Amino acid sequence: MKISDIQSLDQFTCVQSEYADAEVSSGYTSDLLSDVMAHADEGSVLITIQAHKNTVAVSSLAGVVAIIICNNRPIADDVLEAAASEGIAIFQTAENQFQTSSLIAQHLAGCPAA
Amino acid sequence: MLYRADFHIHSCLSPCASLEMSPASIVAQAKVSGLNAIALSDHNCAFNLPGFAKICEQQGMACLYGMEVTSSEEAHLLCLFDKLENAMEMGARVYDSLPDVPNQPDRFGDQPIIDENEEILGFAEKFLISATPYGISALLEMVHDLDGLFIPAHIDRQVYGIISQLGFLPDEEFDAVELTAYGDPALALDYSIVRNSDSHCLSTLGDACTEFDIDALTVGNIRSSLLKSRAD
Repeated sequence: MKISDIQSLDQFTCVQSEYADAEVSSGYTSDLLSDVMAHADEGSVLITIQAHKNTVAVSSLAGVVAIIICNNRPIADDVLEAAASEGIAIFQTAENQFQTSSLIAQHLAGCPAA
Repeated sequence: MLYRADFHIHSCLSPCASLEMSPASIVAQAKVSGLNAIALSDHNCAFNLPGFAKICEQQGMACLYGMEVTSSEEAHLLCLFDKLENAMEMGARVYDSLPDVPNQPDRFGDQPIIDENEEILGFAEKFLISATPYGISALLEMVHDLDGLFIPAHIDRQVYGIISQLGFLPDEEFDAVELTAYGDPALALDYSIVRNSDSHCLSTLGDACTEFDIDALTVGNIRSSLLKSRAD
């Protein structure tokens, strides 16, 4: 799936759309950024509730291409600005991390639930 | 004057601290432990600072008024003030921002508010180990606006330290970073280092401390001293 495929899903609102439409190869779900840094794959989408600018910094280092902020946590402007300058897409969703992970996993596997 | 300071001490208000940690007992033990400057720094709450201020004044103990605030990243940040009213202002903002999750004393411990005579005035209702919604940068700005010192706590720990949470030490206007007694100074990069005990019981007071050779214990003097140690 591509980043734009996430944008096309009803559950997600794109709040930072300045990105190159890269392939999303996997996902990683964590709210501990040191864990994200150590274990997130290059080309992955990060599913988290941590909506601050260090999330963007860690994502950039780990090669994360998109971030999904769960539970509709508010996202400050400096986070969006940092993500725009790094070309990392940010989505917001009312779903929690479990629901979001399940949904993204289905799409990554190419078999979304009907 | 040479201050031998321990700026990270919890009172009984912190649910994880021993109930023996009344402000009066802390000041008495600090003297025994050879400290002549201390700060009270409970988790996300300033309710015991007025009693602490009174007993420090009565006993002639130099002090700062502090708090260990939990950021939205769940990192612990030491916030220190030399004016009680500024600490209380920060304390109110922090406590008000905590989620409405009540403490469960049976599970987590009591959160008693104590005066200088060890009288129990009440209990903090919200669970103080919760995180505030404020990120590290936002907290830093709030503390500096109130003329306080902002110091990431125990950055060498595996839990609730800024490095354990973020994976790295961000470039911010920290006044210093805190290490535990034997923490590796290399972790501090170019930041000034303070060492404190993070005491939750009386017996560990002063197990780690920092010396300041300054005229009086003020935020301004400490900041200058820390900047100088950074330059050295």
